[in-house]
Amino acid sequence: MNALIITKRVLKQLQGDKRFLALSIIAPLIVIYFLKLLFDAFPPIVPITNFTMPIGALIVHFLSFLLCAILLVQERTRGTLERMLISGYRRTSIIGGYTLGYLGLATIQAAAVLFESLWLFDLKYGKETIFILFMVIWLLAVVSVMLGIFVSTFARHEGHVLPFIPLIILPSVFLTGLIIDIDALPGWAALIGKCLPLHYAVNIIHEIIKPEYSLHNTYLDFAILVGYIFLLWILASLTLKESE
Amino acid sequence: MTNAVEIENLSKDYGKLHALNNIMLNVPEGTIYGLVGANGSGKTTLIKVLVGALKPTVGNVKVLGLNPLRDRWKLRRQIGYMPQTPALYDDLSAKRNIMFFGGAQNIFDLEKKTDEILEFAELTNRAHDLVRTFSGGMKKRVSLCCALIHQPKIVFLDEPTAAIDPHLKLQSWNLFHQLARSGVTLFISTHLMDEALLCDKVTILGNGEIIAVDTPQKILERGKTIIKFSENGEVKESVIDSTPGSLAKELHRLGLKQDITSISFQPDNIENIVLNIISEKENSKPK
Repeated sequence: MNALIITKRVLKQLQGDKRFLALSIIAPLIVIYFLKLLFDAFPPIVPITNFTMPIGALIVHFLSFLLCAILLVQERTRGTLERMLISGYRRTSIIGGYTLGYLGLATIQAAAVLFESLWLFDLKYGKETIFILFMVIWLLAVVSVMLGIFVSTFARHEGHVLPFIPLIILPSVFLTGLIIDIDALPGWAALIGKCLPLHYAVNIIHEIIKPEYSLHNTYLDFAILVGYIFLLWILASLTLKESE
Repeated sequence: MTNAVEIENLSKDYGKLHALNNIMLNVPEGTIYGLVGANGSGKTTLIKVLVGALKPTVGNVKVLGLNPLRDRWKLRRQIGYMPQTPALYDDLSAKRNIMFFGGAQNIFDLEKKTDEILEFAELTNRAHDLVRTFSGGMKKRVSLCCALIHQPKIVFLDEPTAAIDPHLKLQSWNLFHQLARSGVTLFISTHLMDEALLCDKVTILGNGEIIAVDTPQKILERGKTIIKFSENGEVKESVIDSTPGSLAKELHRLGLKQDITSISFQPDNIENIVLNIISEKENSKPK
């Protein structure tokens, strides 16, 4: 119940901050457009369709993580997080409220990135594929929100979030199968890649954009993405301190 | 009279820094209790320990008979906390801020109670305005409303009147006295020494240690009064203790002769008194 009060407040705040709201939706659209310009310059031999959706997922992953982490750290620096806890809100309510609140934004981001990519790159997928692509990007966005909440518990101010970008996001670019097959990497690097949630989203996307895909091949990856949500929820609940 | 707050041998360290050192303190119920000290003296740390936001390094703390850490959920229904910074959501209205923090306690008829508290703080006409449009003083009042919405038995106010104009300060203190009359215990920290005079009892904190605990009147009496008088056209000065007895003794010594045509008093102000008490304590420590 208290989580819903926090969700309502987060949504009211987002609604009030129109500049932030517009930027968080327009920024990924602009980046996708730059990606289109880059891919247009590639020789036709490069299979750009294999990269388009995974990179779109990466952009949503990065932005959802960063925005959520920074906004929660702002709660800490402004003293509202401490005040919420002293007022009687529980840790689980705060995390639940935040997740639900930012889920709306993540949904809009996922839909905007998906449909812009389909349109700009003229990708012809069936309705089922588009729906599954949306679900993957959306689930990844939820994982990113949870990851942002978890990371924010280690940050005292906004600047502390920045070191997590090279620590979490950049390895996701290189080690999760986004650019090259993860099996081509050394064993230890592949292991790191398999610990990052983007790997499982990329796996699903690569499978689902095949002309003859099998949903059965994606079940485990979907289950792992959902598992990440619960794992990060538990970790964030444990690391969000009520007293120091 | 029972105590709302009981502190025994409380110390709080941040690494090598001793923020609080062996604090012993009792706060009687229904009083306005002042915690006076310079910036960095440990006031905020002490308040944060009392509201359960910080764990003591050693010592025992009880607020309304409860342990702020072990019994935090039971206690949080009974305490109000106003932090030093407003800790409000700038993009929400005053009313929404108060309702949000009140929402944690599942208060019956929250909206009606919010309207009442806004009226109490004279904020009704700005209830629906965004907090970002408010002055510092008004934000403090909204913050106070957030601390009071669930009708707590004790309120911890950390520098509630810092950086606000004298008119608003007076208004805030009127509110505090109104609350105290209704039976609420107020634990107020301030670095403004003149505010100590408005409390029922005062603790002076310096470098994380208790320097003095007394009523404001007794603390004032620890100051000096300068008596200037002119005798046969010559201006003379003597310094006496600020107690009525000392003044009488001095006047007897002077004999109040006809030649003395005027006597003026210049009592020490509270800031000097507190600063002197702190420096005396510091100087008395073995080097």
